[in-house]
Amino acid sequence: MHNNIKNVKRCTKCILSANFPRIKFDEKGVCNFCNNELLHSTEQEDITSATLEVQKLFDDKRGKSEYDAIVCYSGGKDSTYTLKLAVEKYKLNILSFTLDNGFISPVAFKNIEKVVTALGVDHITYRPSYEFMKGLYRVSSLENIYNPKTLTRISSNCNSCISIINITSLKIALEKRIPFILAGFTLGQIPSNTIYYQNNYEFFKESRKPILDKFKSEIGPEVSRYMEISEDLLKSSESFPHNINLLCMEDITENEILEKIKPLGWIKPGDVDGCSTNCRINSFNNYVHTLKFGYSPYELELSHLIRKNLLSREEALEKLFDQPEDQINYAKSELKLDENQILKNKVV
Amino acid sequence: METKEKIQSDLLQFLSRQFFVDIEDIQIDKSLIDTGIIDSMGLIEIASYIKKTHGFVVSNEQMNRDNFGSVLKLVDFIYKTKS
Repeated sequence: MHNNIKNVKRCTKCILSANFPRIKFDEKGVCNFCNNELLHSTEQEDITSATLEVQKLFDDKRGKSEYDAIVCYSGGKDSTYTLKLAVEKYKLNILSFTLDNGFISPVAFKNIEKVVTALGVDHITYRPSYEFMKGLYRVSSLENIYNPKTLTRISSNCNSCISIINITSLKIALEKRIPFILAGFTLGQIPSNTIYYQNNYEFFKESRKPILDKFKSEIGPEVSRYMEISEDLLKSSESFPHNINLLCMEDITENEILEKIKPLGWIKPGDVDGCSTNCRINSFNNYVHTLKFGYSPYELELSHLIRKNLLSREEALEKLFDQPEDQINYAKSELKLDENQILKNKVV
Repeated sequence: METKEKIQSDLLQFLSRQFFVDIEDIQIDKSLIDTGIIDSMGLIEIASYIKKTHGFVVSNEQMNRDNFGSVLKLVDFIYKTKS
């Protein structure tokens, strides 16, 4: 698989490959995304507008609830910096929340402990049963659960995990009347027009129903416990929180982030791939995505960072190719999956 | 006041660029979610587009199938709200 990743034709400016949806190259080998034909050209407007609106929202709601915001904290570098920003820059009273998916690096757990201690925030960890998580990853790997559009930015397995994080954080926010949910997504991972938005669970629920139905039929009714919110809780909720991605409003390189979080005691785990700083199933997730679609789920994000001059093309390729076989094999063994099973539902 | 045709043409251009889809592949009378053009986050992206392009904020109550159920419904919603 890695030879395929390395040998595929790529844009000469970014790292988008010939297998990426709707890509075209000009005579110099530059893709239509770099040439701005397919990009939303008003990203800076979105950032400027979000910065003003988010500050207003924080000023309006700060200090009026048990916590000002819940931070979805994976222990990775981006969510660590998000937590730091929330506490130190925006002066918010934070509840930090980690979803333990069963594949978090032990070093990442130590990072979480050190960082929440250094920043003086309350913290909770929620661990769904390991059997459930493995079932979720198996189904997400084998079946074509999600809209291909969703999967241009993220692997199916990561999307399933993030769905549980989103639902769990929303449940906590509704139960505790917390007005904001903060996450560590960067531009490239999410579009610039979703830097902040108010949750609309009812409509999301309707649009996600086919996905949940597929999971329920494959895994069982326990899917509801992890991926839905009870009617009682919804009825008792007066308003829905805003989801905000603080990192999207920061112009900062990865190295600068690492320097900023070093004093908190954060160190890079050695048992993760080049695209993750906390999760040991990420390489497997990338492997499944690449097998099915012919490109890495990190191409869009890394290419965005290159265009913003926050990462060099060489650094991006190094991250993309750093996908340790031992981690892929470990996940295959835990999930009891092999390549032939995954290839049955190949998309390209 | 913009015509419905202009609102629709601009919306289709936005959808094409934002969601990597050819305009000819968008069925204007069908749900954008059901036809696989957008996912649930796409709804937020469309609401943000409406705010930026047409100058009004879509409330949670307005974000429903009657208004967001297809391109034609979105065009009607934008047109009526602006007028």
